[in-house]
Amino acid sequence: MKIKSQKDFWSGLMFIGSGLFFALWAMEFYQMGTAVRMGPAYFPTVLGFLLVVLGGIVLFQSVVAEPDGDAAVHTPFNIIDLVIALAIYAILIVLSQETGFSSDWALLGGTLIVSLLTVFFRPDAKPLVLVTAATVAYGYLMKPLGLVIATAALVSISAAGGHEFNWKEVTILFVILILFSVFVFVKGLTLPFPIWPEYFS
Amino acid sequence: MEIFHNLVVGFGVAVTPINLLFALIGCLLGTLIGVLPGIGPVATIAMLLPITFNLSPVGALIMLAGIYYGAQYGGSTTAILVNIPGEASSVVTCLDGYQMARQGRAGPALATAAIGSFFAGCVATVIIAVAAPPLAEVALKFGPSEYFSLMVFGLIAATVLAHGSLIKAIAMVIWGLLFGLVGTDVNSGVLRFTFGIPELSDGIGFVIVAMGMFGTAEIVANLEMKEHREIFTSKVGHLWPTKQDFKDAWASVLRGTALGSALGILPGGGALLASFGAYSLEKKVSKHPEKFGKGAIEGVAAPESANNAGAQTSFIPMLTLGIPSNAVMALMIGALMIQGIAPGPQVMNEKPELFWGLIASMWVGNLMLVILNLPLIGMWVKLLTVPYRYLFPSILVFMAIGVYSLSNNAFDVLIMGVFGVVGYICAKLECEPAPMILGFILGPLMEENLRRAMLLSRGDPTVFFTKPISAGFMIASIILLIAVALPAIRKKREEVFVEEG
Repeated sequence: MKIKSQKDFWSGLMFIGSGLFFALWAMEFYQMGTAVRMGPAYFPTVLGFLLVVLGGIVLFQSVVAEPDGDAAVHTPFNIIDLVIALAIYAILIVLSQETGFSSDWALLGGTLIVSLLTVFFRPDAKPLVLVTAATVAYGYLMKPLGLVIATAALVSISAAGGHEFNWKEVTILFVILILFSVFVFVKGLTLPFPIWPEYFS
Repeated sequence: MEIFHNLVVGFGVAVTPINLLFALIGCLLGTLIGVLPGIGPVATIAMLLPITFNLSPVGALIMLAGIYYGAQYGGSTTAILVNIPGEASSVVTCLDGYQMARQGRAGPALATAAIGSFFAGCVATVIIAVAAPPLAEVALKFGPSEYFSLMVFGLIAATVLAHGSLIKAIAMVIWGLLFGLVGTDVNSGVLRFTFGIPELSDGIGFVIVAMGMFGTAEIVANLEMKEHREIFTSKVGHLWPTKQDFKDAWASVLRGTALGSALGILPGGGALLASFGAYSLEKKVSKHPEKFGKGAIEGVAAPESANNAGAQTSFIPMLTLGIPSNAVMALMIGALMIQGIAPGPQVMNEKPELFWGLIASMWVGNLMLVILNLPLIGMWVKLLTVPYRYLFPSILVFMAIGVYSLSNNAFDVLIMGVFGVVGYICAKLECEPAPMILGFILGPLMEENLRRAMLLSRGDPTVFFTKPISAGFMIASIILLIAVALPAIRKKREEVFVEEG
């Protein structure tokens, strides 16, 4: 049996997997109830199995129907890379729980490791990974280090995900954006963001 | 003549200086993001949502609405001058608009787009004012079974009208419904799918999902493409269309407006579908179909009128039923809820100044857009020369601020990142994110109404087919599904979306 449409094949698997997950998880942990008095498991179970059926149809089509257009999946990484990335996060989160550190650090550390791996081994995946990493860094740096450093980090990391990277341009850009954020969002709209690292103020 | 009285009330609200200012900000921002490719109204409105905390409900809605229809005006500028759709709904405008620009007729093309949009905007405003009150009247009589069937119909219609595989679109809807269930179950208080993460107990914020799927995923997609732009800045020249242009275009504007208004009301409709539909209609009825794609003014006038009409009439289901027909309307509902207003048919009676003020502001906003945009085209064009490497980090900063400020929580930003990756993978697998977002919003509502309907009917599922209104929606959904499954219609549906090819 030959897969004719890579796109449909993987979407089918994705739907079946998540449908099964939602349905089985709901059946395992929540009350089903009856049609008259539906419990919390009822709706997700029905939807989950519906998703499995639809995913099955998509999967079936991917091996029988002749696709129109480009049916190959063009991602700069493969499924194994994705699994490795997820495993790194999982290991770090478990480690942080064992050692009593906040899982925030595990997420930040995992993001750092995945970003570095991407830069060295999958440079074509830089836009996706570095743009995502930039936002994650922003979120987790905000509370301990404040808006200024978080914004500088976001702009530098995401810019590294683009085609051209020029320190001078990036510095000018984040200075402007920091000033804008401070004056418009923190001073003007009074959003309660810390501007500087905690122990400064 | 209640409608005149209502419109007077509305204009009384809309032309106060502060609301005029909000309309102006909305229109300018909308045009800005419309001109810039790679950032759409969904991401912008999502970004600004936290800011509207501090505004009055009317002001917030007026500004957000201005962004949506302003984007339709701005999108055409980029399409005509650069051959890149600034907005998804301007894709078809590229075909003939850019050809007109290459023939040195960029000015008339821009003016036609603006005038057509303005005309369509005026008509759509009147349609909303006339059609919304009776619809809301009917909607007040809806019980849970009617609401459930209506939502089923809405979701089915949204998938039928989306392009790409129908089965994948339905699967995406269900995926969205499931994600929407994460959080505390309102009936039993049980935490569902939260995996012990306290931040998930309130559910995943819709804004966060939308920003991830539409915002970061779009930025990544843009970064993966190579930049190439050819801009006709010097050739804008004279703006006013010739007499012949008017003669050619007026009927197209009328047809575009009519079709756009109709498609906008449908769930899943709105600006995007309207412009595609209008273009293929024009090509069908034209006496010179061979001129299309070579700079036919009809090919600019019709889709531009249609997308603006569609953008505005898509407010009707949101205002009268409290049900979003597309992602932008879902955000509007979010904005209302932030303000403590439950969207639905009661809004019109309880908050007439909000309802009619918004409608009046649409007309005001459209007028502003025509007056502002034609002289300002030069400025918008300059913006297009700003390289993307400056734009995307700035957009990211605003997105991150917007998401972080929702609850001052890093976890929300992480979820946005996760959905950015999900959105990216979905795009690679050709699974449309828009149906998923609709499902995501409707998930809890649907479950709630399903439970109530089943409780009232004592567990008898035939209730959805024995109540007349509910049965109507269900039968309409089934007919839609069967119709799309028929090979002849399926081919037509695909044709509409491959016009660009």
